[in-house]
Amino acid sequence: MSVVESEHLIDLVDLSKSYDGGETGALKNLNLYIRKKEFVTLLGPSGCGKTTTLRLIAGFETPTTGKVFFDGVDVTDVPPHKRRVNTVFQKYALFTHLNVYENIAFGLRLKKEPQNKVDAKVKQMLHLVGLNGFEKRRVDTLSGGQQQRVAIARALANEPEVLLLDEPLGALDLKLRKEMQVELKKMQQELGITFLYVTHDQEEALTMSDTIVVMKDGLVQQIGTPTDIYNEPKNAFVAAFIGESNILRGTMLKDELVNFDGHDFVCVDKGFGENKPVDVVIRPEDLKVSEPADGQITGVVQSVVFKGVHYEMMIASNGFVWKVHSTLCREVGDTVGLSVIPFDIHIMKPTLNETPKEA
Amino acid sequence: MHRSQKSASLPFIVWMVLFTIVPIILVIVYALQNGGGDFTLQNFVDFADPIYINVLLRSIGIALLCTAVCLLIGYPTAYFLTHKGLDKKGILILLFIIPMWMNFLVRTYAWLTLLESNGLITSTVNAIRHLFGAQDDVRLLYNYGAVLMGMVYNYLPFMILPLYTALDKMDKKVIEAAEDLGATKFQVFVKVVLPLSLPGIASGITMVFMPAVTTFVISRLLGGAQFKLFGDLIEQQFLFTGDWNFGSAMSLVMMALLLISMGLMNRFGDREGGGIL
Amino acid sequence: MKNAKKERNVFARIYLALVLLFLYLPILTLTVFSFNASKSRAVWGGFSLKWYISLFEDTDILQALYVTLGVAILSAIISTVIGTLGAIGFSSMNRGQKALWLNVANLNMLTPDIVTGVSLMILFIFCKLNLGFFTMLLAHVSFNIPYVMFSVLPKLKQMNAHAYEAAMDLGASPAQALVKIVIPEIMPGIISGAILAFTLSLDDFVISFFTTSEVQNLSTLIYSMAKLGINPTINALSTLMFIAVLSLLLVLNRRSALVERKKPQHHHHTTA
Repeated sequence: MSVVESEHLIDLVDLSKSYDGGETGALKNLNLYIRKKEFVTLLGPSGCGKTTTLRLIAGFETPTTGKVFFDGVDVTDVPPHKRRVNTVFQKYALFTHLNVYENIAFGLRLKKEPQNKVDAKVKQMLHLVGLNGFEKRRVDTLSGGQQQRVAIARALANEPEVLLLDEPLGALDLKLRKEMQVELKKMQQELGITFLYVTHDQEEALTMSDTIVVMKDGLVQQIGTPTDIYNEPKNAFVAAFIGESNILRGTMLKDELVNFDGHDFVCVDKGFGENKPVDVVIRPEDLKVSEPADGQITGVVQSVVFKGVHYEMMIASNGFVWKVHSTLCREVGDTVGLSVIPFDIHIMKPTLNETPKEA
Repeated sequence: MHRSQKSASLPFIVWMVLFTIVPIILVIVYALQNGGGDFTLQNFVDFADPIYINVLLRSIGIALLCTAVCLLIGYPTAYFLTHKGLDKKGILILLFIIPMWMNFLVRTYAWLTLLESNGLITSTVNAIRHLFGAQDDVRLLYNYGAVLMGMVYNYLPFMILPLYTALDKMDKKVIEAAEDLGATKFQVFVKVVLPLSLPGIASGITMVFMPAVTTFVISRLLGGAQFKLFGDLIEQQFLFTGDWNFGSAMSLVMMALLLISMGLMNRFGDREGGGIL
Repeated sequence: MKNAKKERNVFARIYLALVLLFLYLPILTLTVFSFNASKSRAVWGGFSLKWYISLFEDTDILQALYVTLGVAILSAIISTVIGTLGAIGFSSMNRGQKALWLNVANLNMLTPDIVTGVSLMILFIFCKLNLGFFTMLLAHVSFNIPYVMFSVLPKLKQMNAHAYEAAMDLGASPAQALVKIVIPEIMPGIISGAILAFTLSLDDFVISFFTTSEVQNLSTLIYSMAKLGINPTINALSTLMFIAVLSLLLVLNRRSALVERKKPQHHHHTTA
């Protein structure tokens, strides 16, 4: 991931933010850069500092220590109205005393743009978000999805270099959320600008992002492409937070050999030392169900749930209950074999006690 | 940016300090001084005289009576106002609110014209009495009843409104649920409606009792020179006797009385859940 | 069952009618006798406008009317500005400061009028101010400010927490954000606060009574006239004041009804 300096649009350097009230939302020594035309998602549970990061970039908060650079220029102390970013707020923050047109035209009017230019821009924005003809509507007569579109149009009308989106789809129902995900990604590609997106929804992050920044407790856990993050989670937290996982304790016997659930397995990881405790992560879809004799592990099927594309089975071995996704169905009570290829065994430094309760 | 926003409060803070805090401090200072400016508690000792205590008790008594009457008249009024069957409900409620916005002096003056010896009510009552052979005329003005009447008239809307608010926002499904569980209409009222409207009752009592116990206008206009309430005593000390020290001490007693009863009412209202705001 | 319900409704109507009669009879009598040619309060002596004519020839009453309106308008404007700014500033105070000043505002509202009146009188005399129009104005602004503030605060709370930030995000300076977004968003609260202040000022007697001496407003004038006995001119004056307040209320009620009608489907859309 070597990137030339000039490609960076935003640089966050040693950024920290603490609050009187305690830990929630605090940020610890964050270093992050965002490149031009990139779709970056800050992903993490609530209180992990992702929204704080966004607000520091927008200028609503000033960092306790550290700096924010824009195109290499220090903007740490520049007030929000002088920054070249615009924000789509979580609950839209539309101006209820203004109609749709005036909401979108708000930034342009402040810049004292001529009326014909304002007209053209508002029209273009309404077209972009699919709300042609909504100019005169009161914003509080719009549905949640429509309000969301107005909020996006309003922010984009200012032609920001970076659009900041703070959980913009959180208030929408599932179907609408899926549609908007596709649309947002399309908009970002058409406009060719940078999107910085904050969410706690891993599925949303995987769908839209070029780069995902996984955060927890004010610290960055991992930065990478969706594929990287899904396939090569750096620690148990990331593994548990992104997708579904079996996470268990193991012992690294030596390079490329690990012991867990009472058996030795060949793996591809090295450099953990000898006889060292590690966390082992295996995705449910990477476990292969077979006859008991053909498996590396044997276990008894405890439950089977049909999930549409596959069956989800809980299979109890000696010391662990495995979650397995398989297109083959077994009966509860069957004894089955489980196997996994070395490439799908992910070894990480032990942090197991810190994994979130629910992935 | 936050600092500039905070300074928006500055005029408010200055005004509150100058015209709320400083005057109260002045009252406290005067109450703790004698005419010569020396520290003393004598003003409070003087107030313990039976003459003043009787006036205080009379004020509390008539204010309580007025509150009780307002509650008795007001509760059914508020309750009936929430009935679904009423047409033009908005206008009806407005009709009960309008008197609150009428000048207080005008409202009291209206009763003066009705109750004075040539007034409509007095004339009517006397005419009826004469029909039944009475020789003398009754006087309806300048007595306890006239003052009570004036108070009830003035403060009744202040009882009805909070009661109506509390009853109106009550979830009607609760009543249906109680009926569904086998409660009779009377049981529904006693066991469900009444307890749920307690915060409204508490706030209505506060809104009637407070002004009633402090008034001096109603007693002066309808009670005459002889009928004195606590408010009259304070007014007299400042405007006739000119004893600011004693007047200030009495003002503090009144404040204490109000804050104590307010505290009692608040606790009552809170304990019963919610409060109407 | 149906009959019982009907009966109850009839009873309810009669009861409400009686209470309304009690509330309005005094005012109606007052109004009717303001048109009475004779000075009697019980006997109708024919229709006449003479009390109204004498009302408008009475310079004391006209003077008091100007004082009342002047104090009401000025105190409403001043207290609306101070109260609104105060409420806006609250949002950036920390919890302790906020609680302190809210309590001071509450203390102001809970203090009985008579104590407010005498304490302000002490202050004004202490500061060697002549009791008159100016001191009355100061007093009215003081008791109005908390009412304005408490009408504005809920609107500020209702306002989307990020609307102010959104304005700045779109390029507005803090001052522009305040003028173009915050003030318009809370305008309904500001207006109702201003109207409340105006009516409270019109209605006040006790505090005015203690904070002015020579200069009279309508309340103190009626008081001093009523102490001397009944005067049909007061009936005429009261009637006009009643009609004025009534029209004000009706206009306001119509206005808010219109506003409500303008956005009837709000809830349908947002909850759909």
